[in-house]
Amino acid sequence: MRLLAAAAAALALAAPAGACTTHASQGSLETRLVCPSCHTTLDESDSEVAREMKAEVARRIAACQTESQILDAMVAEFGPTILSTPRTHGFDLLAWVLPLGGAALGAAALAVGARTWTRNRGDTGGPAAPAALGPEDERRVDEALARFDG
Amino acid sequence: MRVVRVVVAVAVLSLLGLLVWDLAHGNGPGVAQKVDKGKVVAAPALNLPRLDADGHLSLAALRGKVVVVNFWESYCVPCKQEARGVAATARAWKDKGVVFVGVNAFDTKSAARAYLKRYGVDYANIRDGVGTTFGRWGVTGVPETFFVDRRGRVVPPHITGPASRAALEQGIRQALRS
Repeated sequence: MRLLAAAAAALALAAPAGACTTHASQGSLETRLVCPSCHTTLDESDSEVAREMKAEVARRIAACQTESQILDAMVAEFGPTILSTPRTHGFDLLAWVLPLGGAALGAAALAVGARTWTRNRGDTGGPAAPAALGPEDERRVDEALARFDG
Repeated sequence: MRVVRVVVAVAVLSLLGLLVWDLAHGNGPGVAQKVDKGKVVAAPALNLPRLDADGHLSLAALRGKVVVVNFWESYCVPCKQEARGVAATARAWKDKGVVFVGVNAFDTKSAARAYLKRYGVDYANIRDGVGTTFGRWGVTGVPETFFVDRRGRVVPPHITGPASRAALEQGIRQALRS
């Protein structure tokens, strides 16, 4: 009987902490949302609206909402510019893909350009290979070397 | 090599197109700056979700009436100072072809709605979450108040800071005469 009562008490105490199956992080959300009036992330802002938004995030976390649900609610309330970084799905994915795609295209263009330039340079001869010495020059070199050795 | 040239040409043309588009659609000086110089200018579009009701409210739908547009946020002290007076003036002119529209920005909905309730603001209010309309109107702070005549043009005066009832009535009369 005493054991049952202890188990019931433990369950009652554990209930609030275990009420949510997933826990959104206040700190993480504050870095992912910006203050609409000062344009810094919530964690760096102490403006009135930032404080109200932090409180709103805390209320939603207490109501067991996931990070995604909380971000969705904030976007619905303020629009997509309330996020500190664009999302990685849907139309917002373009914000990530376009710069990376542009960089890849630029690198490819540079590589192709460099290759073409090197090849064209080879065709026009580049620095000439040393020509073979004629018999007269060879004789003079040999003489000079002999004098050097002697 | 030809492909590279085509890609580079397309990229350059796209960037040029973006630049032209940006120049053509840039905000330029806002309405406020022009009105402050005594000019009468077409009111920029305002079509935003209602804060105090469901649905949207469009300024264009109010053509034929004088519209007083008041930009505000709930944390701003001068907004609080003028709030009751603006609401009282709105009630006084309600049946005389004058409509007041509040534009709320930089607020959570709950804080903005609490403000409306606290200060007895019962005229239409719309919500511009991150102040996207501020640039076109030339709003640089809150509160600011504009007067739109029956033809949809913003007419002087333009009030920056808390609007007194006398200043509001002067603006309304000016818009009615325009």
